[in-house]
Amino acid sequence: MNISFEESWLHKVNPALKLITLTFLFVFVVMIHHLNDMITFTFTVSILFFFCTGHSYKRILLFLIPFLLVFFSTAVSMILFGKGETTLFKLGIVNVTEESLFRGLHLGFRALVFAMMGMTFVLTTKPVLLFYSLMQQLKLQPKYAYSFMAAIRLMPIMFEELQTILDAQKVRGVHSQKGIRSLLKDIKSLPIPLLSQSIRRAFRIAVAMEAKRFNSTNERTYYYHLGFSIFDLLFIGYFILMISLGYLFATEFPLFPVTDVRY
Amino acid sequence: MSNRLKLTDILVTIVISIGFGILYKIWGPLYYAVKPLGIHIDQLIYGMWFMAATVAFLIIRKPGVALLAEVAASSGEFLMGSEFGLEVLLYGIIQGLFAELLLMAFRYKRYDLLAVSMAGISSCIGSLILDFYKGYIGDLSTWNLILYMAFRFIGTILFTGVLAISIVKALEATGVTNLVRSSSQKDFNSLDQ
Repeated sequence: MNISFEESWLHKVNPALKLITLTFLFVFVVMIHHLNDMITFTFTVSILFFFCTGHSYKRILLFLIPFLLVFFSTAVSMILFGKGETTLFKLGIVNVTEESLFRGLHLGFRALVFAMMGMTFVLTTKPVLLFYSLMQQLKLQPKYAYSFMAAIRLMPIMFEELQTILDAQKVRGVHSQKGIRSLLKDIKSLPIPLLSQSIRRAFRIAVAMEAKRFNSTNERTYYYHLGFSIFDLLFIGYFILMISLGYLFATEFPLFPVTDVRY
Repeated sequence: MSNRLKLTDILVTIVISIGFGILYKIWGPLYYAVKPLGIHIDQLIYGMWFMAATVAFLIIRKPGVALLAEVAASSGEFLMGSEFGLEVLLYGIIQGLFAELLLMAFRYKRYDLLAVSMAGISSCIGSLILDFYKGYIGDLSTWNLILYMAFRFIGTILFTGVLAISIVKALEATGVTNLVRSSSQKDFNSLDQ
């Protein structure tokens, strides 16, 4: 698969720093309990997601489709079954209240923000550079980092193998029978060959890597060097500025007349 | 016998887990497709997300494998662009940690249905704690919350317990587990002497 995109400033942010910042923001979002603050923060993240990843708008919009489904599906069970006092709508076990409606929306926005933050990270970070950065900045042991990189390289082979197994099963008419028992057999007939082949291949690669001293804990040299730059400051500064602005905006011009969405 | 993770153990664990990561990624759309049904049918299939830990542990049988597997699977899912975004990484770490703690309580000596089901349930509790803060599940109506938790526990036992055991049994029959287990524990030691 060949995906073309332009390198944006987000690509130049140090990957480990980006990951840590986003993790902090995750915790921060979990501590937001006011719907208005949540909406302004969603706005903050969506600017990065829509305009700063360097990918085409068409692709970004395509990524957005499942996110909206997540928004909807996360919101709906809280809206329908959440606790609350001001009933808006009642039908059998469904009890929509004003409180549960706002809480559901809040959760929906929260899920949307997590999805957009994650996607922004994935779209602007090369996995190899991420693991190099984790080794250099966060002192992750090389044997873990290189194992991760090797495993990621194996993913396309796994997909290819999956296709081969599916084709082979089709040719041999494996899925021709019906009934629960054969369905269970079908479910198992895929992961077993896939896993056993993967384990064999991983073992061979690991032996080769050990022979080449990839598990050495001594001081080692790196092909890529990752450091910090002005873009790291820009990244952190963006969030600090936008969160403060968002907070001010939400207090001055609240969109919804709710304060805390918790019951 | 060294119980520390060698590069072989790490790579095999991560490769298995990345495989599960792909599965987790496919599982996501299925999960939120059944979710809007509302009465938490989705929770029955939630247990799938705890499976990497127990399967990897059953194959490699070393301390630390369950945690590493769950972290690797969730990062695989994350790097493929999960709809749940950053959430999966944190859930992965917590779920792996909880499974690991339970296996540690068994001193990594039990590989049976009970031990892995308990490890799964432990992961499940970890995920519920996160849901409590992140998803306000405490604010669901009581009957709804009980349904939510019960479905998730049932799903957990089915996937992380029963299904994991049967997959690993089938893998043992192929002989591939001997490759990982014996070479890391007996053969290498005899070579070292």
